[in-house]
Amino acid sequence: MKKWLMHDSWRHIIAVAICLFSLFPLYLVVISSFASSGSLQLTSFIPKEISFKNYHLLFNNPAIPYLTWVKNSLIIAGAVSVLSVMIGSASAFAFSRLAFRGRKTGIQLLLLVQMFPAILAISAVYVIMERVYSFAPAIGLGTKPGLLLVYLGGAMGVNIWLLKGFVDSIPAELDEAAKIDGASEVQTFWLIFVPLAAPVLAVVSLLSFIGTFNEFILARLFLVDMNNRTVAVGLQQFIGGQYSQNWGPFAAGSILASIPIVIIFLSLQKYIVSGLTAGSVKG
Amino acid sequence: MTFLIRGKIALVLKVIIITLISSVLLMLTQSAIAQHQYVIGAFLALTVLLITLTYLTKISIPLKFFIPGILLLTAFVIGPILYTVTMSGFNYKTGNIISKQEAITQVKARAVEATPEGISFDIKLGKSDGKDAILVSDIPNLKYFISTEDSRTPVNASDVTLNEFGVAVSAPNFTALTDAELANADTSYSNFHFKYDETGFISLEGFDAGVVSQQVLDYSESKDQFTNVLTGAIYTDNGRGNYALADDKTAILEPGWRAPIWFENYTKILTDPRVRAPLVRVFIWTVVFALATVLTTFALGLLLALALNKPIHGRRIYRSILVLPYAMPSVMSILIWGGMFNTEFGAINTLFGTHVAWFSDPNFARVAVILVNLWLGFPYFYLISSGSLQAIPSELLEAAAIDGANPRQIFRKITLPLLLQILSPLLIASFAFNFNNFNLIYLLTGGGPRNELDGQIAGATDILISYTYKIAFGAGTQDLGLASAISLIIFVLVASISLYGLRKSKVLETFA
Repeated sequence: MKKWLMHDSWRHIIAVAICLFSLFPLYLVVISSFASSGSLQLTSFIPKEISFKNYHLLFNNPAIPYLTWVKNSLIIAGAVSVLSVMIGSASAFAFSRLAFRGRKTGIQLLLLVQMFPAILAISAVYVIMERVYSFAPAIGLGTKPGLLLVYLGGAMGVNIWLLKGFVDSIPAELDEAAKIDGASEVQTFWLIFVPLAAPVLAVVSLLSFIGTFNEFILARLFLVDMNNRTVAVGLQQFIGGQYSQNWGPFAAGSILASIPIVIIFLSLQKYIVSGLTAGSVKG
Repeated sequence: MTFLIRGKIALVLKVIIITLISSVLLMLTQSAIAQHQYVIGAFLALTVLLITLTYLTKISIPLKFFIPGILLLTAFVIGPILYTVTMSGFNYKTGNIISKQEAITQVKARAVEATPEGISFDIKLGKSDGKDAILVSDIPNLKYFISTEDSRTPVNASDVTLNEFGVAVSAPNFTALTDAELANADTSYSNFHFKYDETGFISLEGFDAGVVSQQVLDYSESKDQFTNVLTGAIYTDNGRGNYALADDKTAILEPGWRAPIWFENYTKILTDPRVRAPLVRVFIWTVVFALATVLTTFALGLLLALALNKPIHGRRIYRSILVLPYAMPSVMSILIWGGMFNTEFGAINTLFGTHVAWFSDPNFARVAVILVNLWLGFPYFYLISSGSLQAIPSELLEAAAIDGANPRQIFRKITLPLLLQILSPLLIASFAFNFNNFNLIYLLTGGGPRNELDGQIAGATDILISYTYKIAFGAGTQDLGLASAISLIIFVLVASISLYGLRKSKVLETFA
């Protein structure tokens, strides 16, 4: 009995120690969000007061359009997740199920393209979108549709690659049967494949949602206007502006923005882990 | 729902949608070409052609699936990559951003100087014969004239109305602008040249005064050179995007234009010590940072996976807590850590009772960066290591135990080698990812600390990608050409690492 305890206690010690390490910053944010001092300061481990000042500030201070930022993030990330999976799954389906010339070359090219870190071409994207702005101000630099287009393009490589892996794992018998029954490829895709793959598509689109929600640098470069910003950019600029005074609302804002993401993440854990081993790293 | 995919309604819907998309794209094409954006215009026109051909005919079924994806990839990934390649061959930086034609126009506009005599007049803005004109008062000589871009008409002193300062405010054949019109008159007037004599003209200084000026630099289109009319100095195209004196290469006319310099951005990386020295330093730190991150995150993740590789009490709770750092949006976590390392208020110093200026000392900053990345990254390796531990056949471990191996031996001789074999592609992928982990560096330390007095751009924690970003979008000179060249070198490095990793994971063999 005692030996058993000895045997397992090291496991508990390690687990508890590392749990404390992972919880420490999160705990700190939570108590700062309820503190009224406004700095990310560790005065004591047990908060002396619980104040909703920061949360109140977030929603009622006209200088902090927090809700607009959240709305922007939701619109952009939502549109990217739906559209990129729709477009990506069509390409993935074709790569996986259709026979055509140049298929192998296509896959190899896709492999190479999806390896290109989007951030390396950032200056080129910037210059190109600046030019687009010169003739189409609605979709160029500094606009949400422009950013959406750039995200969609950037998500294509990885998404097609990831989806192709999933499509390969769905048995082909059903769409072969549909083909024998006289369905065209397009009909097979919409009527057989999409309903069959719906759960997988949903998972990939949620992953894409998280990824876009987390994206920082393109959003920072693109959306200069205060009311166009995403949550990530807004909150960053906000503490960058007047250091240490604004940590309270920042903490409150990041907690509110993180909760849905954390929930999505935890509920998708199983799929994310299998996606991880398929070779994708979360950004 | 099937009626949306089959039959007549579907066909009509399809034609309507294709027509709508095509017409929007055609409109964009037209405005792109009107703004001289020919490459973008050509791409848009090609897009329209491809869309209509693919969806209204039956030339290729796979294309129906690929077109949206291919177009987006081409526009926002392949296009920018090719453009990066192009930019890397150009002298494309602050002072050399515009095209040559625009540069010539701007050089001309800037080369306007007051004549040595320094004559200035009181003027009144208005119209004469429908043209922009000024009514000029030469008060000392009591002479008045109306001047437009190409003519100068004297007005008799008896015909003008003077205000209390002796400035002519109205004259025959001249309509002064009203105050409202003046308020709307924009800066275009400041570039306007009103005739004075053969070489001189009057340029405006505000709305009430004009100075007799002259064009100092004269451009000759046939010789492609500027001549200074006062000194006779000749500025010629120096082949690097500027007009410069033949005998003094540093005397250049601003602004310049983006000119092809072929491989100079690349050779500069190798030969120019001012570029090379910081780049080598940054490169070494990038490798150290990525390696240290992979090693620390893997070690901690594996340790946890081993500890929890047994259904002990509370394993599910541990697991949920342990993945939290990975589930949090990383932008927020990095910013929070940034606040925790603050010297005055930061929780780290409070917790340990220290007073370390974390981000002011290069070594402390580097430790902080790796520590934060450990926090962000260990759950990833915990998750995949615990998955892989399950995948190791238990027979192997049992056989070793029967043969008398102790747990340490089993781990070192069997578990670890097998795990490394399974996980090596992911370790390599993680290295490649952290090699370009821009967000972490940018949001945590901003690449700092750096010695600003030395005029350095690169800080102690800058990795290649954040350094490149600073070169392209930094506060000082923005050198898009050099940044593009470095970007492409990074791409070649990262792609080789990733391909090596993929070969190890044998993904390539499935379609090789």
